[in-house]
Amino acid sequence: MRLYAFAVYAFLYLPIGIIALFSFSAGRNASQMQGFSTQWYGRALSNPFVLDALQTSALIAFASAVLASLFGTLAALALSGMKGRLRTLFDALIYIAVMIPGIVIGIATLIALVTVFDAVNPWLEGATGWRLSMGAGSLIAAHGLFTMSLVIILVRARIEGMDRALLEASADLGAGPLATFRQVTLPLLAPAILAGFLLSFTFSFDDFIIAFFVAGSETTLPIYIFSSIRRGVTPEINAIGTMVMAVSLLMLVIAQITLRRAEKPNPQ
Amino acid sequence: MAISQRMARAILLAPAGLWYAVLLVLPLIVVLVYSFGERGAAGGYAPAFTLAQYANLGARWTAFQNTLLLAPAGTLAALLIAYPLAYFLALRVSARWRTTLLVLVIVPFWTSILIRSYAWIFLLGGRGIPQLLSDLGLGDLRLINTPFAVLLGIVYGYLPLMVFPIYVSLEKLDKRLLEAAGDLGAPPWRSFLQITLPLSLPGVATGSMLVFILLMGEYLIPQMLGGGKVFFVGNALVDLFLQSRNWAFGSALAVTLVAIMLVTVTLYMRFLKRIGAARDDVGLM
Amino acid sequence: MKKDETPITRQKFIEELHRYRKGSVTRRHFLGVTGLGTAMAVLGGALPMLRPGPALAGDIGDRVILATWPNYHDVANFDLFRDQTGAAVQVNVFGSNEEMLAKLQAGGSGWDLFVPTNYTLTTYVEADLIEPLDLSKLPNYDAAAFEARFAEAGTVGGKLYAVPKNWGTTGMAWDSGKAKAPFTSWKEFFDVTRTDFSGRTIVHDYQLTTIGSALKYFGYSFNSVDPAELAEAEKLLIEVKPHLFAITSDYQPPMRNGDAWLTMCWTGEGKQLNRDLPEIRFALGKEGGEIWSDYYAIPKNAPHRDAAYALLNFLIDPQVNTREALAHGFPVADARVNAQLPAELLNDPILHPAAELLNALEFGAAATLTDPNRAELMARFKSA
Repeated sequence: MRLYAFAVYAFLYLPIGIIALFSFSAGRNASQMQGFSTQWYGRALSNPFVLDALQTSALIAFASAVLASLFGTLAALALSGMKGRLRTLFDALIYIAVMIPGIVIGIATLIALVTVFDAVNPWLEGATGWRLSMGAGSLIAAHGLFTMSLVIILVRARIEGMDRALLEASADLGAGPLATFRQVTLPLLAPAILAGFLLSFTFSFDDFIIAFFVAGSETTLPIYIFSSIRRGVTPEINAIGTMVMAVSLLMLVIAQITLRRAEKPNPQ
Repeated sequence: MAISQRMARAILLAPAGLWYAVLLVLPLIVVLVYSFGERGAAGGYAPAFTLAQYANLGARWTAFQNTLLLAPAGTLAALLIAYPLAYFLALRVSARWRTTLLVLVIVPFWTSILIRSYAWIFLLGGRGIPQLLSDLGLGDLRLINTPFAVLLGIVYGYLPLMVFPIYVSLEKLDKRLLEAAGDLGAPPWRSFLQITLPLSLPGVATGSMLVFILLMGEYLIPQMLGGGKVFFVGNALVDLFLQSRNWAFGSALAVTLVAIMLVTVTLYMRFLKRIGAARDDVGLM
Repeated sequence: MKKDETPITRQKFIEELHRYRKGSVTRRHFLGVTGLGTAMAVLGGALPMLRPGPALAGDIGDRVILATWPNYHDVANFDLFRDQTGAAVQVNVFGSNEEMLAKLQAGGSGWDLFVPTNYTLTTYVEADLIEPLDLSKLPNYDAAAFEARFAEAGTVGGKLYAVPKNWGTTGMAWDSGKAKAPFTSWKEFFDVTRTDFSGRTIVHDYQLTTIGSALKYFGYSFNSVDPAELAEAEKLLIEVKPHLFAITSDYQPPMRNGDAWLTMCWTGEGKQLNRDLPEIRFALGKEGGEIWSDYYAIPKNAPHRDAAYALLNFLIDPQVNTREALAHGFPVADARVNAQLPAELLNDPILHPAAELLNALEFGAAATLTDPNRAELMARFKSA
């Protein structure tokens, strides 16, 4: 059993090891080890396009995760305990949004928005001088579709598992609905919202296929990497991958430590 | 009170509702409309009302075949590899190591799938594993650009998504049940079949669903590890929009893919409900 | 330029110079190893008059986005452009004209400058996707310097929309260590793929050359849109497909590491492969095939238009373009550049094939690009 687990971990880490190893190669060839050097890290960090792409990706992921968590939580609050046609409609929409392949979302959003923009732009440009075009906004919105659905599902599950007695107790003690929401409901929902936020961020940060169609002229990190792979990979790409992973790991460790600290005085 | 509650609901639902209307319903309607159109003279879309695009779907039969074969195969392979690992993590590892080992399952996810697939291109290419095998005298093996390479790539890419739900359902399992079974003289395989496996089915169902859904729309891995030869519906779609620029046919293909998924996934969930593996929220998460 | 380059001895310098002359190392390697690159960059930065003038006239912003083909530039030139103008060049690489056209048609590509091939230009003009060039911003352009057949497609309806970048042919490259005899025809290309080279051949990931070469197998025109002839080509391609290594336009990596033995190949890339790995040979099919000319063009609504003109003017500067040609190996239509290129390059049989071979070649036609049957045939072949 232990041996088996070890084998699976080896499988998971073999490519990662290769990436990390080649990132220290001195040569230009990304799939061959030629001497040792850290020059590719310096190059990656001084490459304005890498930094730009990283920033774009982070901003888009952050924006779409914030919007998804906010609107998703609101919708989940409204939907819990709701019955009737509207509920059925929303259930169906959420179901379809989660299930539809990213590639279809990407293509469909592209042609729909391009059609809408073409129709609206002449009028809009005449009125305000502005034009709508594909870019960060459309990408945030397209990512938001999937991630908002994710948040609704997570938060709703949490609400439904919540102890109603707590809410009643709060009301019995004279707290108004707003106070109850702030002091009882929200803290109880926080883990689910946080989980939803993190999942949303990760999804958006790593997504290639939707961005490929919807991002317009914005270059996210996955798009930059895809384009570099075609150009003939240099170990710079390996260095970027290794760094992104190292930073994520670090954030994970910090999150773990903070969570543990937070848990100790106040065990649930 | 009733009216104000309604108002409050409407306000809370408005942003999400708007989102679904503009970014889900509208695009799907546009795609549906386009699917009855024609290819423009220099590519793109030209308005028309014809069923010609749907009649031509047979020309992408192989792509559907590959997808409908490799997506379930990939799901099954991921399940078979993930289950023992999840079992090990949930029941055989001390609490001290469990979190660390779990985190180690997700960590590869933090590197772009593009870069990881690129590493596989090297590993499966002539200078990688095949070279190693032939140096060991194990013959001349070709791996890269084969269906096997694609299968390996998708199992690799989606393994963590399978491990987690199964782990969660196994971890909730009351270990006293297993002890009781042991005390009553049941051999380990029986208590596994009669207790552990049934109780972990919701996790299996969730994980399989998640992986299956993602595989049905896969584009990148067949593109990178299949050398343009192992075509999924996703690849056919990208090809229609970016190379042959036939938006009408591409839309018909997209509509068909979505329809197939709706039917399969709905049937699968019905089936799960019948065998009692599904909680209400299973199909979605 | 890298900082960690150590000075080298005089003898080593001479050796490197010889290797460079013989063409076994790239200019980039040569400049890097010898430290000349650093010296040049320093000089270029310190002496303003060494910089080409007009590009500096105004502030052009900090970036410019170039959509181009794989292995088609000297990266050091982009570094130089950034040092001179402050605008960094972002390179987006594409493997087919269809893909470039699709990106521009969908809108919002964000490109400032791109590299279309001769047969696409009329389509771009008709679809109103590119703009006529403002020659006052391109002092380095000299119409008289270009050979007419490689420049004429740039003028549409009497207006200049594009200036020539490089020209070349599409032939085949193979590993001579694996082949019984040198390849000379498309007939052999497809026949050997189905026998000795099964699983080792690459065809391009776009219809023009893949279908065109299959048409040549039967002796038909490279540009044929005749349904009966296309049906024969399709049958051949579908038959060959199980024997292919890959369908991709990025064929250098698998050719270099030995996974693939035979590929459809553009001239300059054939030269690059042959230069680094002499066992890889390049030839044209004696039945004919493609001759092409690539152009620089500026899309409508380019977000960094000034930078686009500055970069274009920089890249057609004869000095800069000579370095480009030395790095990528593709033939140039600009007489000012050819005057500076070493004789070996100009007499190279790969780059400048014998006249009877050249005469059999055809330029791709606009109708070939937009023909819906060819597009669908290619898509069917790929998904088969």
